[in-house]
Amino acid sequence: MKRSDLSFPLHLIVHPFDGYWDLKYDGRGRVRIALIVLGLVVVSTIVQSQYAGFLVNYNDPRQLNSIVQLLTIVVPFFLWCVSNWSITTLLDGEGKFKEIVMATGYALVPMALIYLPMTVASRFMVMEETAFYYLMLSVASLWFVALLFVGTMTVHQYTALKTIVTMALTVAVMGIIVFLGTLVASMAQQMIEFVVNIYRELSFRT
Amino acid sequence: MKLHACLLSLSAAALLALGLPGPAFAESAPYESYNYDSWSDAVPAPAAYLPEKSVSGADLGVGDFVEPSDIAVSARGLLYIVDSGNARIVVVDGDWRVKSVIDRFERDGQPDGFSNPTGLYVDEAEQLYVADSGHSRIVVLGADGAFIRTIEKPSSDILPDGFAFTPLKVAVDKAGRVYVVAKGIFEGIMQFDGSGAFIGYVGTNKVSPDYAEYFWRMLSTKAQKAQMVLFVPTEFSNLDMDGKGFLFATNIDPGSREPIKRLNPSGDDVLKRFGYFDVAGDIRYRSAVGPSRMIDVNVRESGLYSVLDSSQGKVFTYDHEGNLLYIYGGKGSQRGTVKTPAAIEQLGDRQLVLDRGRASIEVYAPTRYGSAVNKAAGLHYTGDERQAVPAWKEVLKLNANFDLAYIGIGKSLLMERKNKEAMTYFELGMDRDSYSVAFKRYRREVMKEHFGTALTILLAAVAAYALWRLAGRRLLRGGRSAGPPPPWTSSKAKEG
Repeated sequence: MKRSDLSFPLHLIVHPFDGYWDLKYDGRGRVRIALIVLGLVVVSTIVQSQYAGFLVNYNDPRQLNSIVQLLTIVVPFFLWCVSNWSITTLLDGEGKFKEIVMATGYALVPMALIYLPMTVASRFMVMEETAFYYLMLSVASLWFVALLFVGTMTVHQYTALKTIVTMALTVAVMGIIVFLGTLVASMAQQMIEFVVNIYRELSFRT
Repeated sequence: MKLHACLLSLSAAALLALGLPGPAFAESAPYESYNYDSWSDAVPAPAAYLPEKSVSGADLGVGDFVEPSDIAVSARGLLYIVDSGNARIVVVDGDWRVKSVIDRFERDGQPDGFSNPTGLYVDEAEQLYVADSGHSRIVVLGADGAFIRTIEKPSSDILPDGFAFTPLKVAVDKAGRVYVVAKGIFEGIMQFDGSGAFIGYVGTNKVSPDYAEYFWRMLSTKAQKAQMVLFVPTEFSNLDMDGKGFLFATNIDPGSREPIKRLNPSGDDVLKRFGYFDVAGDIRYRSAVGPSRMIDVNVRESGLYSVLDSSQGKVFTYDHEGNLLYIYGGKGSQRGTVKTPAAIEQLGDRQLVLDRGRASIEVYAPTRYGSAVNKAAGLHYTGDERQAVPAWKEVLKLNANFDLAYIGIGKSLLMERKNKEAMTYFELGMDRDSYSVAFKRYRREVMKEHFGTALTILLAAVAAYALWRLAGRRLLRGGRSAGPPPPWTSSKAKEG
């Protein structure tokens, strides 16, 4: 891994159009970096919910679960990537799955950058200053959405309108995947139950 | 055999490890004591009041009560029991000796009596206001039981023609205005002036719009609409007057977030609700049981008030800011539980709950914990935060889950400018606003203390940086050594 691989995401988040172009056509993106960013976001979210200042931390410490927090970030991430790939394949998108993962991962960089410092800063804030904390968190989220928009647009070579439509469809497809997944799981469970019951019945009869 | 013993001990160990429910401190209470923490979870708490005895009419020597519906304690410490079924009022002193039984009085030379009296209020001059529901009137009697006057069915433009006046509960303020909860009156509490003339309604319960219901109404036909339930405001269930002339009123409105109101003279609700959750009794309940139904309220010393929940037979006590202090009581057939609770009063330091179903009065005595909470809450009410600290510490000794105690101690520490300690206590009590105040002061303190050191370090750092830059420029002038160009420009440069 070269030093430029590490500094490239920082360039990308401030020059998204250039950055995503280079990511796609100059091969500057690395899947590994995207996954590291994802990991950083997970870690900073966990740290935030555990160690953010008392005035901004409304989490019940008895109900914090790092595994659940990890899953609530990692699962939607890959769900997004898969749905986005599925929908863009049908809608003449030019992006490969690898590029979608990279685009999404690199879009998360502002979150990874802002969450940790704000967690530290929140411990030194009084009530009136917490507005600043929430402002910065909103900035991180908006920045992420904007980057995701530019990333999708560049990677698939879409127009702005088509990108918005695609993103909305991606969210819908995420829902469909979750629905189908639950359906399959529930059916599989019933089928297994059925077989187990027959086996039990037979074994009791003999 | 050995295996069996082994299994037995194992299961015993498992039982111990699981921890069977059963708080050790509430052994003699026939109900579970609990309170809600700042997460709105019910957590066990020591019993604040324990049943002391049960008093029936036979115990007092006046024959059994029949469907008693109200009790009142006067300023002189006399207890008045409204024995509805026997149409009489039994007056008892603080030692449970019967002073008198009022079942008839002389009105204009004619003997008169009650018919199904349901409510009673005793004012400061020890005058009795009896809601004589069977006779559709309110009877005012003197301290000696002599007839003074009646308040009859009012006539007013705002009352409909076929209006039946059935007073159920009554309260009187210092100015002599009479407040009446009457049956079938949804407009609010009826208010009469000193001479008995109807003034108007106060404190109407508002109907909150239900948008789902509204939507169905839009879709349904006229015939369907006619069959639907009418949405009328709920009736009030009971009244009490506090020392400042504010009217406490309860209403039975399942699902209401404000079943308890404190009405000022112009009829606005001014109850303070600064607690973590609604002043509405149980905030967590099984759907089969349903929310609390407030049947009576009792204003106590130093801003405390207790409300009686008729669906569970529980008594909820709040302080003047709307913090839930303790919960006790319950339904059942054991001594100390009630069947059909109807009214609550305070006699000395004892709490009395009138059980209409069993026609008796349950007497509850405060425990060490209850007394400590009452004392601390009283000192907090009068603003003696510092004197309240020992009482709060006593409370914490018995119940480490009591958030209010931490906040009380924190407030005292804040006054003593012990900001760091105050922060710890406010965090334990989950009081974010007070924590913020303490933290602000503490932060300023620390900054003041370390300002000199920080500035010295900063100046030294600036000086070091300036020196380094200076030395760097000297070297630069000597031999050219430019750093590599930024990595992302290099590829572009190559392309171009």
